[in-house]
Amino acid sequence: MKSYIAFTKKEFCENFRTYKFFIMISVFLLLGMMNPITAKITPQLLKSFMPAGMNITVAEPTALDSWAQFFKNVPQMGLIVLVIIFSGIMANEFSRGTLINMLTKGLSRRVVILSKFTMAVIVWTLSYIVCFVVSYAYTAYFWSSYGIRNIGLSVFCLWLFGILLLAIIMLGGVLFKNSYGGLLFTGGLVVVLMLLNIVPVLQKYNPITLVSSNLALLTGNMLVSDFIVPIVICSIATIVLISSAIMLFNKKQI
Amino acid sequence: MDIISIKHLSKSFGANNVINDLTFSVPEHSVFGFIGQNGAGKTTTMKMVLGLLKPTKGSITVCSEPVTYGQTKTNKYIGYLPDVPEFYGYMRPFEYLKLCGQITGLSNDKIKTKSEELLVLVGLDKANKKISGFSRGMKQRLGIAQALLNEPKLLICDEPTSALDPVGRKEILDILHQVKGKTTVLFSTHILSDVERICDNIAVLHGGKLVLSGTLSDVKSQHKRDGLLVEFATQVDKQQFLTTPKLASYIIGAEQTSTSITLHAQDIQKAEMAVIKALSEEQLLPIRVEVLEPTLESLFMEVVK
Repeated sequence: MKSYIAFTKKEFCENFRTYKFFIMISVFLLLGMMNPITAKITPQLLKSFMPAGMNITVAEPTALDSWAQFFKNVPQMGLIVLVIIFSGIMANEFSRGTLINMLTKGLSRRVVILSKFTMAVIVWTLSYIVCFVVSYAYTAYFWSSYGIRNIGLSVFCLWLFGILLLAIIMLGGVLFKNSYGGLLFTGGLVVVLMLLNIVPVLQKYNPITLVSSNLALLTGNMLVSDFIVPIVICSIATIVLISSAIMLFNKKQI
Repeated sequence: MDIISIKHLSKSFGANNVINDLTFSVPEHSVFGFIGQNGAGKTTTMKMVLGLLKPTKGSITVCSEPVTYGQTKTNKYIGYLPDVPEFYGYMRPFEYLKLCGQITGLSNDKIKTKSEELLVLVGLDKANKKISGFSRGMKQRLGIAQALLNEPKLLICDEPTSALDPVGRKEILDILHQVKGKTTVLFSTHILSDVERICDNIAVLHGGKLVLSGTLSDVKSQHKRDGLLVEFATQVDKQQFLTTPKLASYIIGAEQTSTSITLHAQDIQKAEMAVIKALSEEQLLPIRVEVLEPTLESLFMEVVK
């Protein structure tokens, strides 16, 4: 336990001193501001680009447009930044050989994986909270939130998918000794999930639902119960991925 | 008591046999020199002792406990200095030692006193900057400090002096010499003068096998002395000596410099007798006649041939 706390502290020290933490927070802060503002100014932008004399009726933006931006930008840009920032989480230690000193000091290999995962989850959660709070505040300031349902669950689903991605990165990092291997592994798995979503039978089990159908949940087109199975599967997958990462790492020659 | 005992150890990477049925042991409180050419398998052997690589065959025990691959309990007895120690560049030396101490489970007070003591020992007590700005020699010294932090019974150093300048090398050797009383030191190297300076036991690894081992003095005395150096004041004297008919059989294959000659013979006493006799008959006066002790270098060259 003591070594877990010590190594997790080291992970945070690393994230602060190599600026990863600040990059994550800034990107998500920016995203948080962009979502409502994009929704607000899109109609004006459209109008100003129209040639003189032409008229187009654009519906007045609502809170739903702002959340539509949120659930488009965070899965696209936010998650990509998350994956890139943490893709080297294991590779940097392998390629530079910094882990050898730690492991020969008796640091358990399980602790290495768990500490790194803990740190990544906390950084992701904090950044995500910043993004959500900023988005929420602006949206509430501009529009009434009438008609928006299940915002809490919707936001939770996206967060949970981020955790799944981090677990995939951990396993990829153990499987491949360089960060590109890890990136490819993560990207590959996401593509597989997307392809699986084409098969209608699998759709209701697919964790990708957690980031692709949030808007339907907000408008009430999908029910809370539709999300229970993907949430359970996503959680189980995370646990399985982390356990396999630990087991593989235990067998790895360094 | 033996601190490490290695029995019938083999390791292959694919078809490449790196270690081949290696058996040796390291006695407690010795400085053990593990010698071999580049690629002889020194690092591979050390990594197997640390549980970082999985042996293909054979067993290793450290302090009478078996080493298991992956998570090994025996590492609590060991301090390890890799050939090129790598640290987290964004940390300062004291922070790094603190992290190491917490991982090994030392108390905070102990970490503080021990770190200060070790940083003084390795001469880094004034270097309170980030490790990324350290020179190679400084990293090597910090490596020794971290390896000694948990007061290990065994210190394993992988070529600690290979990449350093003469001053840096001397400093590292001095540090190793200082810790000799408290801990057993196993260090690998291909610099033979370092071995002669501080080791009391040696093992020479060649082609994945042990070709020479024992205490340094035993190894030297077991190997026959076969060189006889005769030095003259002038080249003329040397020429006259060379043309002596009685010595013809010895002179074949002798090494020469401008005024000296080194003879080789199976029976060095007989050769010496013949030389002295010839010198007296020719009325030649050498300035030096010496039976050459085998150097570690000549032994090494002999066994790796």
